[in-house]
Amino acid sequence: MSTINFAAREINFKIVYYGPGLSGKTTNLKMIYERVPGEAKGEMVSLATEDERTLFFDFLPLDLGTVNGFKTRFHLYTVPGQVFYNSSRKLILRGVDGVVFVADSAPSRLRANAESLRNLRENLLEHDLRLSEIPYVLQINKRDLDDALPVEMIRQVLDPTGTVPAFEAVASRFEGVFEPLKGVSRMVLEKLAQKT
Amino acid sequence: MLEPSVDLYGAAHERVREHLSDLLDRAKARYALVVDRKGFVLLHARAVWAPAPPSLDSLATLVASNHSANAAIAKLFGDDGFREIVQQGADVGTYVEELGPDALLLAVFDGKTTLGKVKVHAARAAVEIRSELAALRESDAPAPTFDASWSESTEKLLDGLFGPRDS
Ligand SMILES: Nc1nc2c(ncn2[C@@H]2O[C@H](COP(=O)(O)OP(=O)(O)O)[C@@H](O)[C@H]2O)c(=O)[nH]1
Ligand SMILES: [Mg+2]
Repeated sequence: MSTINFAAREINFKIVYYGPGLSGKTTNLKMIYERVPGEAKGEMVSLATEDERTLFFDFLPLDLGTVNGFKTRFHLYTVPGQVFYNSSRKLILRGVDGVVFVADSAPSRLRANAESLRNLRENLLEHDLRLSEIPYVLQINKRDLDDALPVEMIRQVLDPTGTVPAFEAVASRFEGVFEPLKGVSRMVLEKLAQKT
Repeated sequence: MLEPSVDLYGAAHERVREHLSDLLDRAKARYALVVDRKGFVLLHARAVWAPAPPSLDSLATLVASNHSANAAIAKLFGDDGFREIVQQGADVGTYVEELGPDALLLAVFDGKTTLGKVKVHAARAAVEIRSELAALRESDAPAPTFDASWSESTEKLLDGLFGPRDS
């Protein structure tokens, strides 16, 4: 799935932040943009409504560096979470190499998490992809909420077999933001190495 | 994988590059890009007189997404897609041609030329580039080596960018 451009000597990966509306996907990208050194990042593009809700996607290109003569780059995207933007979500998943699922710890959002995950599986199927076949990690966000659900309960719902790497986060305070990105990036790179 | 990516390399890469510069010369357009439909830049050319382009990553991503969105709109009406995607502002305009299933050709122009001229020459360039890409898919791309040293280097780079704390 990764795009290898031999002439430009570039390997490009597409990583998508998925999850229900307001779980903190855009916050992740903003934090990454703020914390990554200037030479490693490009411009961030946000297609949002006036009240800052993601309408189509957010986009941030990152440069990992050059390996064996190939520039290795990650293109990060978020999707809009609201149910009615499903056509946007489907479009963004085109050519995806890895997924970070951003779950919300609020008790009232447990169902929305589960529904968003089901929606992710359905939309991937339209691209003939299965979640179990692509690098995928969970970020359990908003751990700072007073009434945050126990992590085990959220995992039980989203990953009953306990096989998906999970990371706790308070994205708005830049806690647990780099870890899931690093985790999924590593998986994506390993997958490419295995394939060839 | 189901969605093959376009690999432009070697002689074909050079020929496509020439088609892009011909397009710029003949249409008097500013920039011409071949963009993967996933939003990656495959090749780009800039007229000598044109100002520095904006971020090409942003441009490619928006063009590819916009194209997908337009196709989705056409689908609502039972159409495969729109035959023509033109955008025209006060100073600049863009014109997009499909290059087979995986790529798009984008021409960016301004008041130095006309939409008609851009369309004619972009359509001609698209015919040539399409056949280059179709031929490419049948040939074998050279494989880069992803050995132990590659994994080791990427691991170091990940530590450098995101910090060494293990996940
Ligand atoms: N309490 C808390 N709020 C957060 C956290 N992360 C994001 N938010 C807030 O949640 C709201 C929605 O975040 P946003 O990133 O726009 O969500 P998106 O819809 O998933 O893109 C914003 O007001 C954020 O500031 C977090 O870890 N804890
Ligand atoms: Mg958002």
